[in-house]
Amino acid sequence: MNTLRAFWESQQDRLFFLPPMPEQADPLALMALLLVAGLLVGEGLHRTLGLSRIVGYVLAGALAGPGALNWLDRETLALARPVADAALGLLLLETGRNLDLGWLRANPMLLRTAAAESGLAFAGVFVFSLVVVGLSPAWSAATAAITMTSAPAVVLLTAEECRAQGQVTQRTLLLTAISCALAFVVFALVLGLIHAEEAGDGLNAFIHPLWVLGGGALIALLCARLALGLAARLERGGAGQVFVLVAAALLAIGLARMAAVPVFLSLFLMGVAVGRLDSKRVLTYTSLPQGHWILAIVLFVVTGAMLPLGDATGLMLLQALGLIVVRGLAKFAGVMATGKNDLPVGRRRLLGLGVQPLSATAVFMAAELAAFYPEVSAQTLLLPLLAAAVMEFIGPQLCRRAFVLAGEAALPSREPPP
Amino acid sequence: MNAFANLPFATSRPLTLGVELELQLVSPRDYDLTRAATDLLASLHHDGRCGDVKLEITESMIEVNTQPRQDVTAIAADLEGLRGLLVEHCRRNNVAICGGGTHAFHRWPERRICPGERFAFLNERYGYLSKQFTVFGQHIHIGVTSGDEAIWLTHALNMYVPHFVVLSASSPFVDGTDTAFDSARLNAVSAFPLSGQAPDVSDWAAFLDHMAVLQACGVAESIKDLYWDVRPKPEYGTVEVRVCDTPLTIDRAAELAAFAQSLARWLLRERPPIDPAKQSLVARYNKFQACRFGFDAELADPLARCKRPIVETLAGLLDRLIEDARDLGCDRQIEALRRLVESRQGDATVLRGLARSAGSLNELTRAATEFFARPSCYHHHD
Repeated sequence: MNTLRAFWESQQDRLFFLPPMPEQADPLALMALLLVAGLLVGEGLHRTLGLSRIVGYVLAGALAGPGALNWLDRETLALARPVADAALGLLLLETGRNLDLGWLRANPMLLRTAAAESGLAFAGVFVFSLVVVGLSPAWSAATAAITMTSAPAVVLLTAEECRAQGQVTQRTLLLTAISCALAFVVFALVLGLIHAEEAGDGLNAFIHPLWVLGGGALIALLCARLALGLAARLERGGAGQVFVLVAAALLAIGLARMAAVPVFLSLFLMGVAVGRLDSKRVLTYTSLPQGHWILAIVLFVVTGAMLPLGDATGLMLLQALGLIVVRGLAKFAGVMATGKNDLPVGRRRLLGLGVQPLSATAVFMAAELAAFYPEVSAQTLLLPLLAAAVMEFIGPQLCRRAFVLAGEAALPSREPPP
Repeated sequence: MNAFANLPFATSRPLTLGVELELQLVSPRDYDLTRAATDLLASLHHDGRCGDVKLEITESMIEVNTQPRQDVTAIAADLEGLRGLLVEHCRRNNVAICGGGTHAFHRWPERRICPGERFAFLNERYGYLSKQFTVFGQHIHIGVTSGDEAIWLTHALNMYVPHFVVLSASSPFVDGTDTAFDSARLNAVSAFPLSGQAPDVSDWAAFLDHMAVLQACGVAESIKDLYWDVRPKPEYGTVEVRVCDTPLTIDRAAELAAFAQSLARWLLRERPPIDPAKQSLVARYNKFQACRFGFDAELADPLARCKRPIVETLAGLLDRLIEDARDLGCDRQIEALRRLVESRQGDATVLRGLARSAGSLNELTRAATEFFARPSCYHHHD
């Protein structure tokens, strides 16, 4: 390296166009390398061990991130954040579109199941955080809000990866979408609680949740109407409609970032709005372009790098495992306790397994909170983040296993992603 | 010793009817075919009063069978019961269900074979044909009193295969394309080596001899392996008409059953002369005409050595059948078919119109699910 540097500097006198020898890799180049590394690790684990590709992407990010090799430092991570926001946003847009209210009307039992599994998960994690870990009520509620939902990105991509179709897959997607909706509302309320507890600020405690929910809804409605209005003027099913949908989603992401409204919430609501407002079915049959797998790799590499692996102590890891067990049992019990006449017991067991993932949405929710109270949250949010870290590696496998055992995955599935 | 030497022909009451419908299971998200059949059956609770619900070869198909009934009114009631049961059950499981002989735009490699020994055997034997066999037909069973009568009626009904095809044609689209056929479904059936017409045998004994040869040569193990347009079904004591596309509505399914029953009654009563050998000369051509051109088909008549527009022969035939239909209590259904022949607005035409107005094949299939969800007009009035 020194020889190269000496040679480079010796040439600078003669070749005036040469820039100074770069001190560090360009973040974009680094991201590109990480993408390839994520892809290779993901494919390698998938082909050799049959693991979900997502596990490989997260592993590549975690190894390269600040917690391990630090190839991907915090500055580079910050640069990659808009891309990761876009990836999560687009996947949550799809999750929102999956929230099929017509199905809920035809089968109200599903709503009861969703309420039971999300509600029990929230209650279980809240009590665990408060009593066992000793967090304050507000931070316990924050931990519960962050971890009560399943992982929409993981579930959606796993279903696509396995080309899974059937009741376990469809219900896992639906329950995930409902638990997202519930978690986002609870999360907004918890923001207020945190402000009240940390800053004793009644005004912000009241206004901030309204800003988050109202702002998210407004952005969602505006961008959904824009997408539908423009798409109606274009050829049905053509590339133009896909372009309009993606462009409107990116606009929503940009607006949400500018207004400090969570991107995941705005895009989820936009997905719901696009589904609900599309009475002429202009965009109903328009799917995201297949290229969203590239964004998914970015998302999970960045998520892996954001995991606080270096900060964990043995006790914290133990607490995180405890949280995972409590949450897992609560979700499983919620699914098993409802819908006895609706879905055979074997299928319900697999559904209870399918809704277990915990991933990027939780990590990004934690990041939203951490932005306000960095000192306090560094410790208190370690618990849900560590739980998410562990589940990054287990969740995709559990979900995949559920789809395979249900006979809903298209096997053999060791093929390139769609 | 072959399995056919003493195969008994179960007797049934003459002109007893039974209807089987193969139906499409689609996702309400995009109206493409979806994997749903085993899930739906696993959670379906019903008393079997109206008949049965069964798996078909791929997971995107489901078959309903009515009970054996004496008249079309009871068949229509069974079909209405099964329709209501399935539409409601599918709705609770976020699946939509529709008729039509083909799905307009599904990709056959994505189909999944249903679990079961028989389906695994078919998949093993026929390779990709088994997934391409995701097409949807209506089969109509007509009760006969003996094997000999079954053979005669099989030959007699073979002459009317094009008429059944035209009246039921509902499969103009395949692979997202207008095929220019009114019934493209039968092209998928034709790919099978044992499809086509029953052999020219004179009675049940001769038929058993023929089957014994096929078995000895390893061509067919049982009658189930034969995908003939019309075939005897000895275990039910029936003759089975297998060429109809599944219509868009159960009302049309009941009308086709009425046509089959009235036609069989008229044939068995009148015993018009038949010449299976001569008919076989033009059978494939006539079936092609019906599939391709629908009501514009022209049928070759090998006895009169001429060709005739099918609408003329159909209109005349329906006029002749009306008395038998009245005696059987299904004249309303035959009248409905007469109006259909006059208007020429069959299901294939309806589907083409929908595709033009809806602008997408997803919307076309959604409209088909709405057609199927409509309650029967025959059930309420009778």
